[in-house]
Amino acid sequence: MRFIRLLSHSTISRFKLDPNYAFKCGIEIHTQLKTKYKLFSLSPTTTSSHIVPPNSSISYFDIGLLGTQPKLNPEALLLALKLAAALGCEVQTTSAFDRKHYMYPDQPLGYQITQHYHPIAKNGSLTLRSGVDDEGNYRLDADKCINIEQLQIEQDTGKSIYTDDDEIKIDYNRANMPLVELVTKPDFENFTQIRCFLRKYQQLVKYLNICSGDMENGAIRVDVNISVNGGNRVEIKNLGSTTEIKQALRYEYKRQIQLLQVNITVSQETRGWNGTETVKARSKEDAVDYRYVPDSELSQIYLSPTIAKEIYDEIEPQLPERVLQKLVLSPYDLEVKHAKFLLDNNDNVLPYYFQLVEAVGARDPHIKCTTINNWMFHEVLGSFHKNNQIFDINVLPFDKLASLITLVNGHDSRLTLTSARVLLTHVISNPGDARPLDALIEELDLEKPRDVSEHDILEAVQEICLEIIEQNPDVVKKIRAGKAKSINHLVGLAMKESQGKVKSSLFLQTFQRLI
Amino acid sequence: MVGKTNLDQFGMGSNNTNLVFGPVLNPKYPIEDNPRVAGGSSGGTAAAVALGSADFGIGTDTGGSVRLPATYCGQIGYKPSYGRISRWGVVAYAQSLDTVGIVSKDMAVLRGAYELLDQYDEKDPTSMTIETRRRIKRLSPVSPASTSLTIGIPIECLVTELVPEIKDSWLKLLSQLKQMGHQIRTVSIPHIPKLLLAYYSICTAEASSNLARLDGIRYGHTAGGGAGSSSAPEIMAETRTKGFHIETIRRIILGTYTLSGVSGNHYLRANQKREALVKEFNQIFNMTNPLFHELIKRDDSKCDFLLIPTTITKPPTLEEAMATAKENFLTAYVNDVFTVPASLAGLPALLIPYDNTGFQIIGQYGDDEAVLQFGSTIEHNCI
Repeated sequence: MRFIRLLSHSTISRFKLDPNYAFKCGIEIHTQLKTKYKLFSLSPTTTSSHIVPPNSSISYFDIGLLGTQPKLNPEALLLALKLAAALGCEVQTTSAFDRKHYMYPDQPLGYQITQHYHPIAKNGSLTLRSGVDDEGNYRLDADKCINIEQLQIEQDTGKSIYTDDDEIKIDYNRANMPLVELVTKPDFENFTQIRCFLRKYQQLVKYLNICSGDMENGAIRVDVNISVNGGNRVEIKNLGSTTEIKQALRYEYKRQIQLLQVNITVSQETRGWNGTETVKARSKEDAVDYRYVPDSELSQIYLSPTIAKEIYDEIEPQLPERVLQKLVLSPYDLEVKHAKFLLDNNDNVLPYYFQLVEAVGARDPHIKCTTINNWMFHEVLGSFHKNNQIFDINVLPFDKLASLITLVNGHDSRLTLTSARVLLTHVISNPGDARPLDALIEELDLEKPRDVSEHDILEAVQEICLEIIEQNPDVVKKIRAGKAKSINHLVGLAMKESQGKVKSSLFLQTFQRLI
Repeated sequence: MVGKTNLDQFGMGSNNTNLVFGPVLNPKYPIEDNPRVAGGSSGGTAAAVALGSADFGIGTDTGGSVRLPATYCGQIGYKPSYGRISRWGVVAYAQSLDTVGIVSKDMAVLRGAYELLDQYDEKDPTSMTIETRRRIKRLSPVSPASTSLTIGIPIECLVTELVPEIKDSWLKLLSQLKQMGHQIRTVSIPHIPKLLLAYYSICTAEASSNLARLDGIRYGHTAGGGAGSSSAPEIMAETRTKGFHIETIRRIILGTYTLSGVSGNHYLRANQKREALVKEFNQIFNMTNPLFHELIKRDDSKCDFLLIPTTITKPPTLEEAMATAKENFLTAYVNDVFTVPASLAGLPALLIPYDNTGFQIIGQYGDDEAVLQFGSTIEHNCI
């Protein structure tokens, strides 16, 4: 009790480590595989309660009907092997399934089929690169290799829903969904590494189409093991978000330090997180005896010794790390943060970007990627943002944007940047308007005056400038008094007047001459 | 289909006394005065066939559950090689031992039923593969018409507990076979005396796992589940306490212990005995085991089939069975001593009724056709 009281006062918002107390952590990640069917049956994996009613996506085997048998879904095996290869694991030539016994209403067989004795893969790693794998404010001091102990394929359980009337409702849709459990070595030395690891891992599984990568809906679930100064480790189970992981670890780190400060040994146990503190679930002594036993209904998995390499060679070019390397180098020359944005949106924006670069190149090979990048990340995303919209590739198809870029930056430039921005805003705010750009340019009267002679333009510019000077005597006075920058205000007015059809530099020169 | 028949709960029993619907009496003996048991666990099937209610019946045979009641009721009973008949739809007792067996009066009917059921089924992951089925056809050395076969008698089966009538019948049958031109030879399978322990370790361990799903939550019997009145563990505990027969509970507890961390790897060690047993069988049969790669050469020390009794005693009366069960439930387990070797090694075993008892013809794994063919020969010439 004393420690809990002590802790309630320590409301630290940041996770700072005490140099006298070494933090050591390992994590376990459950990753739901994106297969078409469940792990050992042919029921579909569309099981979310938002899409299908509870207990509708189940087969006889999923709910443990007598007289039914499991049949391994090879797609789940393939996805697990892809993950193993991507993490550089040693894929085992022989692996097998075991039964892990415990009784719970959402566990229909009375046991979970998992890989306890012979997991599919062992000894992998994922290296976190400083400056590349940083996540927001969480910056890595140096590169860090996180070793992976093993990957095992296993079944998910059903879901228990606790109602207000003390009833448990059980939805077996999730039962028998395929999972891969990943266990890391206790290599994490601080929370930043955990945060960056999780992000990199999420990106990897999403990128390889192994998993949706979402923590919110439970497609990725994390348990952590933490010890301080080499003491006993405490496991914290069922953490649903990175925020919860951080809060639970911070609390547990403080708790263990306070125990050590008064010479109490931390006991090896499993704890849960209730939102404010970690709570003891069970100690090592009363740990459940899972009575692991080989599942003799499922044959062993025999794999060729070269399978890991074959799969790696196939997925290597698609690995996020490789794509990132490609994007930051010539010809793409993207900034790291923009390249990471593309990787995070690999299902739509990344292919869009490649199509855009190709389409612009086809129209005018002299336009550099840096120009395209500027369009993509400043003009386009900025315009969507200003319009309170999320970038939607359907509103602005890549060929439309390619045409727009060419109209401004191409050899035969027909639009000023200002006109192009007007056009872009129009396209984004009127997603229903599918007319070609030419028609819009004409309607909005945005084209640069082309059929007019140089002389006429200069005359028109001078006319506009004189009018503005006349209407803004105060500003002119300031400029003449030495406030040179005020001239930009006049240029702005002139641009507005000319609807941006004339380059701003021309107005600037004219004003400078006239004032 | 005529109907469903009675059996010991979840196939656990040798006397058909561990059941929900009351014991099955043996129609071969008078039932009014001191009736005898039909044998278990598939006693209902054997009794129904013996009464002529059906031409054939099916039941599962995990450690003798078809062969023993067939013996007691004087019927032909067949336990095919493991994986021959699909287990899809079969309530698993011990999944690595469970087979679907057939009971009939008539060898031709039994073979017809077997041929119909002997199919690869992709729904059963332990179904014998098409590839193995093909390999067996190439490996079986016994030509159906062969008149000179070698019959092996494992010396380990000559136990003192065997009652004299059964021993005499055994000798009588062997001498008839000898007269027909077959050779009789003793062989040795040293693991046989150690098998009961291994068998009960495996089947109870697997049963404790397979029956864990019967928690009263999704289907079947539910106890203690008044709306909102009980917690989930309470519902499960009460359902299992009330729903299971005492013998089922006994075996679940035994199996739970076997798989627990404190038992010292009983399950693993039992399976090691099982592996050793298969190797011993591979040494004495002329046919190569289709699941192994090394080819066996036919030689004088080997045999084509084994011929052993099914049971050490005649069917007990219901009264005797109940009394022994009360006194020491392990006594009933001993009855399985002759049936479990074929179960543990997955071998085909045909029970031929003979002289008020019955004898098993056991062949190499997969050699079902030859075993059945030899059974037909015996049926024609010896009975």
